[in-house]
Amino acid sequence: MTTQTIATSDRIEKAQPGWVKLLDMSDRALAVLLLTPAAVLLTLIIVYPVLRLGYTSFFSLSLTSGLPAEFVGFENYQLMFTDPVFWETTWNTVLITLITVPGALIVGMALALLANLPFGVQWPVRLSLLIPWALPLSFAGLIFAWFFHSEYGVVNDVLARFGIEGVIWFNSPNLAFAAICLTIIWKTSSFMALIILAGLQTIPRSLYEAADVDGAGRIRQFFEITLPLLKPAIVVALIFRTITALQTFDIPYMMTGGGPGTSTSTLAMYIHQNTVSFLDLGYGSALAVVMFALSMCVTAVYLRIIRTKE
Amino acid sequence: MASVSLRKLEKSYGALRIVKGIDLEIQDGEFVVFVGPSGCGKSTTLRMVAGLESISDGEIRIGERVVNKLAPRERDIAMVFQDYALYPHKTVRENMGFSLKVRGVSMKDAEGRINEAAEMLGIAHLLERRPGQLSGGQRQRVAMGRAIVRRPQVFLFDEPLSNLDAKLRGQVRTEIKRLHQQIGTTIIYVTHDQVEAMTLADRIVILKGGDIEQVGTPDEVYNKPQSVFVGGFVGSPAMNFAKAKVQNGALAFANGDRLPLSSLASAKQGLADGRDVIVGIRPEHFVTHADPAMTLAAKIQVVEPLGSDTLVHFAIGGEMLTARMPPEMRPEVGSELRLGLDPTKVHLFDAVTERAIA
Repeated sequence: MTTQTIATSDRIEKAQPGWVKLLDMSDRALAVLLLTPAAVLLTLIIVYPVLRLGYTSFFSLSLTSGLPAEFVGFENYQLMFTDPVFWETTWNTVLITLITVPGALIVGMALALLANLPFGVQWPVRLSLLIPWALPLSFAGLIFAWFFHSEYGVVNDVLARFGIEGVIWFNSPNLAFAAICLTIIWKTSSFMALIILAGLQTIPRSLYEAADVDGAGRIRQFFEITLPLLKPAIVVALIFRTITALQTFDIPYMMTGGGPGTSTSTLAMYIHQNTVSFLDLGYGSALAVVMFALSMCVTAVYLRIIRTKE
Repeated sequence: MASVSLRKLEKSYGALRIVKGIDLEIQDGEFVVFVGPSGCGKSTTLRMVAGLESISDGEIRIGERVVNKLAPRERDIAMVFQDYALYPHKTVRENMGFSLKVRGVSMKDAEGRINEAAEMLGIAHLLERRPGQLSGGQRQRVAMGRAIVRRPQVFLFDEPLSNLDAKLRGQVRTEIKRLHQQIGTTIIYVTHDQVEAMTLADRIVILKGGDIEQVGTPDEVYNKPQSVFVGGFVGSPAMNFAKAKVQNGALAFANGDRLPLSSLASAKQGLADGRDVIVGIRPEHFVTHADPAMTLAAKIQVVEPLGSDTLVHFAIGGEMLTARMPPEMRPEVGSELRLGLDPTKVHLFDAVTERAIA
């Protein structure tokens, strides 16, 4: 009986057309088949450009010189060490990251806690959170450039109403830097708030009720329940925000153009200047590789933190 | 330990009255179970006692204190939640010790209380684990442990067994009963499961539509249901109900069967002729041998052998009834039997008010 059954199933297998065999492929083969389109796409739009960037960074390639590309090894990287503008823009980038990421986290957290209150009508609160996030960065830069304008800006107007003399924000490196940081915090805190709000909504209400019964007040509940349970959401928000902070370009570009001098210029702006304005693709690529490495390092640190928590 | 007193307790959301003026005195050390179907107001009442819901009217006293306006933390109560509400990022030890830490209990005292409660509940080996690493039953015990270490005046349980499977539910139910016998603290326990209510309670409060339908010991609510609702709610399988009319000193059923009122308990005699009543008979109160006058013609529809008993479903007129019979009894489906009744266990309810006829 058994032999007969096997023989029958053998016959069925032989009679199967090709497309039926395709349906019977192993999980591994199916996974490869399904992932291939995405892998090819990622290779084309991410892996290849990054590799090409690294390759170009080893060449002297300036489109304005009219000379052919010449392999120079690590010369472009060596040049960075002696380039004061590289150090200044890198420092500005790091400083913007160090100020605006925690700033956006604090403001975003406050906004998320506010939005999580049981308002009768939720949509205006959610909408007001979404608007700054949905606004293009360059628009935000333009709007705040007007806010901080020395003559008809709203900030100086408000200061004047309190009897404080207005300042020329974009003439002073420190004030210009402060204005840029404030703008970035305004623009990005809503993104932080949205991620934190999503995290807040996953915390069961019964935990707060249990804490109420246990005797914990609101502040204690925040530090003992809300904050620890928000950690995963906060880390995700910090990863995204830090990476984009390291790539800061639009807002300082629209508000100050990097000035006065290069005091508010960022690494991304310096890369743009070298590649697009000066057409020095070799040095620009080397700078971009450094920024890419910086982003990867920060991401690796965050991922390590997440893994340790797990 | 403390008594709990609810006086004219009300809860409304706008025009919607969820709890409609409940009056209840719970004695010090008593185990009281609120039971009723979904939406009857049992959980809302418990949450008002806890202080997690504001009250619309009335008064709540815990001991001698009116606690209407006190926050939960000021009421000296502990609560076990339906989803346990354990802090997922804290270990079992931290979960159990949190309320003690908040209240400034010394580390040494707190450790002592945690270890004592953990021993009592058999979770001492789990103290360093997080809730995510525990099974449902273990989480349930931790939730109870968290309540016990507080040594509150009143324990509140909000459907604590509803997330457990049937076997574990029975096991934990016994543990809760044992726990109450050990610590003797007043307990208010909410459930929709009448078996939990019957097995755990000193007194059962049966709620319906925001009102108390009956308060009594498990024996009282089982043996003397004051309404059709209580009769149908308590007991499994549920009490059978059949419409009948009082005619010439007997109960006349739709199928023509008659039960003489004189054979029923004395209080049920003397009913006016023509009065419509609902006759309530528990499945376990049908008997195989009875006075021929106390039998009903039963056309067998379904037979369910359970091993320990046999459930026999039959029709009287248009109404389906169930009898719990001895296991060896296996009547043929479609056959007609005369099933006897224990005359002392027949309940009569008014057909209009559905209240028991005393």
